[in-house]
Amino acid sequence: MQRRSFLKGIMMTGAAAAVVSPSLAFSAEAPKGPNAMDLDTAIKAITGGKSVSASDKVQLKAPEIAENGAVVPVSVTVDSPMSAEDHVKAIHIFATKNSNVRCADVMLTPANGTASFSTRVKLGSSQDVMALVVTSKGEFLSAAQNVKVTIGGCG
Amino acid sequence: MATKSLVKIKPKTYKVGDVVEVSLMVMHPMETGLRKDKESGKLIPAHYINDVKFSFNGTPFTTIKSWESLSTNPVYTISYKVSEAGEIKVAFTDTKGEANENGTKITPKA
Amino acid sequence: MKKIILASALLGVLAFGGDQFAMSDADRAMYEEMLEHNPADMDIAWGGELFEANIGSEEALAKFLGVKAEELAVYLSGFPRYIEKLGMVASQEQVLQGAMAEAGKKPLALKSKEMAAMGAYVKSLSNGLPVSIDINANEHMKKAYALGDVVFNQQRGGRGLSCMSCHAPAVIGSILRTQPLPDLGSEANKAAATWPAYRMTKSNLTTLQKRFQGCMENALLAVIPMGSPEMNALEVYVTHVAKGKEIAIPGLKR
Repeated sequence: MQRRSFLKGIMMTGAAAAVVSPSLAFSAEAPKGPNAMDLDTAIKAITGGKSVSASDKVQLKAPEIAENGAVVPVSVTVDSPMSAEDHVKAIHIFATKNSNVRCADVMLTPANGTASFSTRVKLGSSQDVMALVVTSKGEFLSAAQNVKVTIGGCG
Repeated sequence: MATKSLVKIKPKTYKVGDVVEVSLMVMHPMETGLRKDKESGKLIPAHYINDVKFSFNGTPFTTIKSWESLSTNPVYTISYKVSEAGEIKVAFTDTKGEANENGTKITPKA
Repeated sequence: MKKIILASALLGVLAFGGDQFAMSDADRAMYEEMLEHNPADMDIAWGGELFEANIGSEEALAKFLGVKAEELAVYLSGFPRYIEKLGMVASQEQVLQGAMAEAGKKPLALKSKEMAAMGAYVKSLSNGLPVSIDINANEHMKKAYALGDVVFNQQRGGRGLSCMSCHAPAVIGSILRTQPLPDLGSEANKAAATWPAYRMTKSNLTTLQKRFQGCMENALLAVIPMGSPEMNALEVYVTHVAKGKEIAIPGLKR
């Protein structure tokens, strides 16, 4: 029994090394590009420092485990009537640990009918993907989900 | 050669008042500027689509500013509430200033 | 526990792949949904233009193959086939090369992007039809299938791996680095019916033979050239596994 748990321990370490370390190594030396911007700066540029509240009106869908950081599906839907008086003006998508956290800034209008946006993003490492939503009433709503990036499969 | 792209509407049949999905797919490298050329060892300059505009019969209804973090051959999917027959046009530009346009007809069933 | 003996490295990964690093069904469903927006649809559209420029029309291809234009799609669903004109069991791409040569054009290379796109377009003409390969059609096909069986099962390279190492019934479904080892003939994979496919890890349209080469490279096997008798035989073997499955080109793969 002891031997077994010992082995299991080794195996778990091995698994972590095999699966997680490549992405960690990558994030440690992630170089800064010309557009480098951290999350706080990016959010402030949109909200002007006003508070952001996490809201279950914002639904963000992304895989919990992305087996390949190069193509991670992300979709955001916001519960909104999309009327002239009450609609979502913008959906911003952030990859919170990429060198430039900004992925897309989507400006919507009532003509959209539904406030939604989906795309695929590149993630340099395991991190939260976040949606920041701006409404016509001047609210800033958010949702986030953690995505573990592994290097899955063979080839 | 123009950049290859596709505009799709889902579902295929819809009527006035329905909300449909409009998507744009573009064949584009979306270079981050952080990747090295395997042979020369030099950084490949950033090159990505930074501007996408959806319009219906000439009136813009959604504009997207996108960044290098979108995947290679990116996909942009938004919603659109069908108001009448007409044409959706999608214009997109990349960081080298190359401008392209694609579109699709909106033909609601009675 | 008497499974097939695997090289120790692979066995290690399989043994502790376990639950922790397996992708959830919800995640997998999300990836499957991406098929609706398959970037390779753009390659298919491009392939159609290339087909028109290089071969002309479906009628021209049907004529080259000696079949009626209205029977072309069904005929194409049966590749690889023995093609008398070429004197070999040929992949569909090699037939396109032959048709180009006959029209006095320089054939596109099998490994070129153009050929991948044009080949995928032509394969997509059979979408919705079942894979109809006939390994008993003639002696040539029988021989190709037998050779494919050898290529699939022969352990090669520094680690003594074969296709069978990862695609044998005993290991199918085991998790290798978050991904279950696929049953090539299952309804979910129906490998031969869903290649060429867009590979998300490569961001491009990839042919079945190119995928085989990728497997060989990563498993440290000498890479078999595209279009060689051995490679075509392997395609025959793997295609036969998916016989009867509905063709849906382009696929979308990790």
